[in-house]
Amino acid sequence: MSGIGAALLNSLDIGLLLFIIAVGLNIVFGVLNIINFAHGALYMLGAYLAFTLINIAGMPFWAALILAPIGVAILAVIIDRLLLRFIYSRDVADSLLLTFAILLIINESVRMIWGSGIHVVQPPDLLSGSVRLLGSSVATYSLFVIVIGLLLLAGLWYLFNRTRVGRIMRAAALDRDMAEALCINTRLVVTGVFAFGAWLAAVGGVMAAPMRALDPGMGDKIIIESFIVVVIGGLGSFPGALLGAIILGLIHGFGGRYLPEVNLLLPFVGMALVLLFKPHGIMGKGANA
Amino acid sequence: MKTSSIKKLLVAMTATATLGTAGISYAEEPIRLGGLYILSGSAATYGEFAQKGINLAVDEINSSGGILGRQVEMVYEDTQGKASVAIQAARKLVYSEGVDALVGLDSSGVAQGMVPTMPELQKPLIITHAATPDVTGKLCNSFTYRISVNVAQNMKAAALVAAETDATNWTTIGPDYAFGHQSWEFFGNYLKEINPDVNLMSETNFPRFGAEDFTPFIDRVMDSDAEGVLISVWGGDLVNFVRQANTRGFFEEDLEVMFTVGAATEVLTALGEEMPEGVHLSTRYWYEAYDNDINDRFVKAYLDAYGNPPSYNAEGAYAAIYAYKQAMEAAGSTEGPAVAKALSGMSMDAPNGTVTFRKGDNQAMVSPNWGVSGSMHPEHGIRTLNNLQIFDGEKVARTVEETGCKL
Repeated sequence: MSGIGAALLNSLDIGLLLFIIAVGLNIVFGVLNIINFAHGALYMLGAYLAFTLINIAGMPFWAALILAPIGVAILAVIIDRLLLRFIYSRDVADSLLLTFAILLIINESVRMIWGSGIHVVQPPDLLSGSVRLLGSSVATYSLFVIVIGLLLLAGLWYLFNRTRVGRIMRAAALDRDMAEALCINTRLVVTGVFAFGAWLAAVGGVMAAPMRALDPGMGDKIIIESFIVVVIGGLGSFPGALLGAIILGLIHGFGGRYLPEVNLLLPFVGMALVLLFKPHGIMGKGANA
Repeated sequence: MKTSSIKKLLVAMTATATLGTAGISYAEEPIRLGGLYILSGSAATYGEFAQKGINLAVDEINSSGGILGRQVEMVYEDTQGKASVAIQAARKLVYSEGVDALVGLDSSGVAQGMVPTMPELQKPLIITHAATPDVTGKLCNSFTYRISVNVAQNMKAAALVAAETDATNWTTIGPDYAFGHQSWEFFGNYLKEINPDVNLMSETNFPRFGAEDFTPFIDRVMDSDAEGVLISVWGGDLVNFVRQANTRGFFEEDLEVMFTVGAATEVLTALGEEMPEGVHLSTRYWYEAYDNDINDRFVKAYLDAYGNPPSYNAEGAYAAIYAYKQAMEAAGSTEGPAVAKALSGMSMDAPNGTVTFRKGDNQAMVSPNWGVSGSMHPEHGIRTLNNLQIFDGEKVARTVEETGCKL
């Protein structure tokens, strides 16, 4: 049946976009032990910055894809130095409260700066339109999202497994005191990791902008999805974010087509099942994840 | 030390309270109206439109002498689109802000939760947007009025439009809550009444509200035998839907496409040319549909103030403030029960013609507007509507018996 190809590609484009966003959430949790509620707001900022650069400043999409995430990462450094550094040593619940406050501040700022209206961003000419693939017509831009998602996946794997920076990040995640004793500047690592997480969120936001309407609630929508991904895959786990995102992508892509009556329920059923049988997520490592 | 500071605090508080009341009693107190809208999150744009409409009305009224010689003052609360928040906000507006009457409600879900609490507040509420038939139906009460078109009225009009097409197999794509399901239910019933030969397909599509990706449902309709599709997806979801449908080639299919809230100006503005030509679009008020002085003045004032044409939500909110002016002046008072009584059966001139709150269910007899999307408007940057149909508000309304309302 021709629908399966379309469903599969659709699942992948939803899943890989979610992966880009959720993996940032997971890296920040893994290294900093912070559940960043404001992650969705940073995603939204990425999208709105892209909108400003493309629709208002008249820049090409590619420039926005480079610049907007850097802008958000700089903001993340400021947030980290001004606010978050005071709570790293505290209980994870405190980080939830603080990042929730940051989320509210960013949400309202976006509404004040850009207004509450709905905005759209056009995909670059190269990627507009659609192509025939696997027996159905697919938006070229969706394929681009899949390619970028896979590239980021490979890049992240390489970073964590083959580079010194990646090893330092993993070391800081495992035992910050020991890392410090080994002359690693953990303060720099902490700020860097938070900024990197924000950068990933913003890349997701720029990628989403040409296919999702921009409104001041878009961050709230994505953070719920990202939490589902993280719960399914395992909090703090890199492969878990991938697995969770792909599972959720498949639930949306196939569930909407073949089980439309229960499409609302499916992500939560998936989450409940995982919580019942693998309370720390499929790839979760329990208390020391 | 501790007791003395508490004492100081008490003295200060008493002083402020006394001064406060003394200050107010000198001047003529303004009439305060409470606005309950979505002011944050995805749908914040709807609250903002309502505020824009209300601000125009309040400015006009205040500069021409106010209501009963008193100035009008608005107090807003954010409902966040949640019934529980809205109920609390309404209590706060009535009991601590001392408002005389309420306007608002953007969501059917909020309206269903909130309306049953109105008699307890003893203040009138004019609903300006939420469209569930229930609040002027089985949940009706003598304090709740609606000035905007409801789902039953709009779906009767939709069925009349659909009956004119060649399509026999009909399905729907709508948000998975009261609005989407009730739209399909009323549309189906009316269409079957007009033309018993139509086939209402059992494969319906109700994506999650805020789903962002609608392609599974778009594909499903394209793969089915549907010849006509009623789409009640709205707001940002509708913007996403139309763009994704474009890349799928949905609009090139041989389908009669009907968007029940498609001519909302915020959606048309965001989409621009991406809204295809030749699809049926509806709205509860189309700014170019009415040729009368009030509408001309309203549209011009709105364009001058905000730079874009008024949405249906701005019009409903604008008209509601004038409804209160007329009702309060008829009652000669701002007392809740008296104003509510004056609204019952009241007729007024609004941008969308003469509007009457029907005695039996307090629903305004207002006209749904349907048209077919045409070329781009040269100045407003949105699609124009061709073959515009302004349905008679009275004729598309359910009878009072059908509404199930007992006042």
